[in-house]
Amino acid sequence: MDAVELLVEAGAALAGSLDPRTTMREVAKLTVPRLADLCVIDLLDEDGRINDVAVVAADAKVARGLEALRASSPLDPDGEHPVARVIRSGQPELLAEMADTSLRTFAESSIHAEFMIANNYRSAIVVPLQARGRTLGALSVLRLEPRKPLGAAERPYRQEDLELAAELARRAALAIDNSRLFSDLRRLEQRMEAILSSVAEAITVIDRSGQTIFANQAAADLLGFPTPSDLTGAPPGTIMSRFLVSDEQGDELGLESMPARRLFKGEHPEPLLVRNIVRATGEERWLIVRSSPIADPESERVSYAVNVFENVTEVKRAQLAESFMAEASRVLASSMDYTETLREVARLAVPQIADWCAVDVLGESGEIERVAVHHSDPHKIALAERLDRSYHPAPGDPAGVPEVIRTAEARIYTDIDPDALAAYARDDAHLELLKEIQPTAVIIVPLAAPTRTLGAITLVSSESSRRLTQADLGLAVRLGRRAGTAVENARLYTERTRIAHTLQRALLPESLAEIPGVEIQTLYAAAGELNEVGGDFYDVFDYDEDRTMLVIGDVCGKGPRAAGVTALARHTLRAAAIGGQSPTEMLATLHQALMRQPPGADLCTVCLIALAREEHSARLTIALAGHPPPLLISPAGKVEQVGHSGTVLGVVDPLRIEESEITLAAGETLLLYTDGVIEAGRPNRLLGEEGLLALCAAAPELTLKRFLEHIEGAALQRAEGRLRDDIALLALRVEG
Amino acid sequence: MRDEGNLLVGVSSEGERVVLRLDGELDLASVPTLERAVQDATFERTAEIVLDLRGLEFIDSTGLRAILLQDKRSTERGQTFALVRGPEQVQRLMRMTRVDEHLKIIDSPEEILL
Repeated sequence: MDAVELLVEAGAALAGSLDPRTTMREVAKLTVPRLADLCVIDLLDEDGRINDVAVVAADAKVARGLEALRASSPLDPDGEHPVARVIRSGQPELLAEMADTSLRTFAESSIHAEFMIANNYRSAIVVPLQARGRTLGALSVLRLEPRKPLGAAERPYRQEDLELAAELARRAALAIDNSRLFSDLRRLEQRMEAILSSVAEAITVIDRSGQTIFANQAAADLLGFPTPSDLTGAPPGTIMSRFLVSDEQGDELGLESMPARRLFKGEHPEPLLVRNIVRATGEERWLIVRSSPIADPESERVSYAVNVFENVTEVKRAQLAESFMAEASRVLASSMDYTETLREVARLAVPQIADWCAVDVLGESGEIERVAVHHSDPHKIALAERLDRSYHPAPGDPAGVPEVIRTAEARIYTDIDPDALAAYARDDAHLELLKEIQPTAVIIVPLAAPTRTLGAITLVSSESSRRLTQADLGLAVRLGRRAGTAVENARLYTERTRIAHTLQRALLPESLAEIPGVEIQTLYAAAGELNEVGGDFYDVFDYDEDRTMLVIGDVCGKGPRAAGVTALARHTLRAAAIGGQSPTEMLATLHQALMRQPPGADLCTVCLIALAREEHSARLTIALAGHPPPLLISPAGKVEQVGHSGTVLGVVDPLRIEESEITLAAGETLLLYTDGVIEAGRPNRLLGEEGLLALCAAAPELTLKRFLEHIEGAALQRAEGRLRDDIALLALRVEG
Repeated sequence: MRDEGNLLVGVSSEGERVVLRLDGELDLASVPTLERAVQDATFERTAEIVLDLRGLEFIDSTGLRAILLQDKRSTERGQTFALVRGPEQVQRLMRMTRVDEHLKIIDSPEEILL
């Protein structure tokens, strides 16, 4: 018998089989009849029992009989049977000649003993089957010979037979071990597949070439394949091209950014959040992609990557919508310039909601005016501007922006195809422009103020081919409402501010009467918001032949009513002066006029000074009605209050006014002011009367204009730039 | 600024007299607070209304107007209206506008009015 031939045949037989039972039988068949009359392979199971047997014999009856015996009385792993001993020791045994007595000691039962004796068990070799340092079982080869006189027998097994059997066993063990591992793996794989098919997350396994070797149904659904096998059948690299994949910032991501690819490059990628748009349908999804490596245990090289895709579209959409609305609200509240605000809104919407955003507003005469258009590519903006110029929507157009403005109802157009574009286009050139923009979906929502529609916001999806959904429509409607309210507020504010400026100008004299030899300066600072009209006023006008009347006053309150009363006060005082009344009489006239006003108690404080120019000085007649007394500042900076307190006008009867006369010498300064000055900086940094008196000490060093600015500056500083009340100042000096 | 001002109005009534104690600042922002307090319907039939100004840290012309308005309302109803003297800044405004000559000003809320 040729040992080499046997081993070559064994190699060929063992390479082809992956089923452990087949492998066992193949090994056994090789030995019979060339090496043995009977070959038995016993294998250990996971629990250490000798439980699996393959028997091949020259006589099929023997094989069947032994198989039946092993089934009815399995070998005791701790027993004296050579197979048990070899499995325990790991050492081969050569039983060259077996006597009936020794056969009896091996037997598990009397039937077993009778079987061995009856079938002429004569000579045996038992070798362990060992692979990867483990004993799997034992291979036994036997010669079955009737006993003959010594010397005439067929050759019993010798040492060289044992060596051949051991060599065969080594190969067989490896083949059996491999096929067992393979079958374990198959079972494991089947279990894994059963588990993975039932999980909701999409799971794929890809190899280093990028080939998908496993996918569950959820993965097939997510990636747009009918079944997992369609997905595993797709060539490497063809799956990703079905999608537009970008990160949170909107930057497109390539295959090399995917966690699986990075795993193969030896990196340790974090889970990746991607925006995934199905090119075919425009559907947008947000996915978290996690990849874990399966490394080869020996080389530790990553051979497979397991991808788990978690669909977080709903969560991400809601989160984006909230942060978008928060940002939009912030932008809308930040400016009262509504054109600029709407441009900001358009910028915000791209690319988060759509590829394009345009805002149109309804002009005063009903025309539609494009105030903002945005796209991330400036070239495209130019395209949209060209479209708007050439094919500007008319208020009567049946569809699009004019329709939304007319009906105040949002519109969504999805799956726009070339036919729909052609139907909408006014002519061929229009159609060409529209085709260049290539819209796939459009949302138009009203720019809705609480009581009217101011315009419309248009959102267009084009090159990203992102499908616009009902959720986007909802978000856009909210945006339209928020922006509409903001625009309305901005318009009202602008209008109010304009009215306020106009009114304020009307309340203050356009020019002041000039007095030769007397310098007069005035200053007016409005409080806080531009649109609140304050009640401070001043005036200087010719009183009689040689006197000039100086007026400063304050009407209690703010707003339109105070503005009306202020105008009334100024004009009533001028009229009374023309009528030749004394300062006290002028005040009484104003008081009567105020008392005749509709109820509401309009309080007004006034300081009147009739100035008569004299040589190097001026004679002043002072009449106060509830007003802070003027301050007289000496050239040395000494300050004193002048005038007698008088009753505030408008409410209290009887009026008590006492005129007083003083002389204003050259170099002296007289300051008239309203209470806004001394109340500046309330409550913690109040300037107060004392503060004002201290500021006045600097007057002699300053020009009159600088002096007034000095006071205004101090008041503003106290008020940290936000005056709560108006400030009016009037100062005069007699030139020397 | 759209604040509601810095004013607390404490109401106490004893027999025919209602005392409103004003603490804080009576100005453009806080006048509505006082207006709401004095418009309590039950004050219409009471014999005396007293505004206690001792806790008032600041008053401006709109605050003064609110007090004068209440004085006018009380006079029309035949009520006695009085102020308990406030700190110097408050009294200075009363003197400057000479409304101190017009209004009844007392030194403590317990003072007999009639």
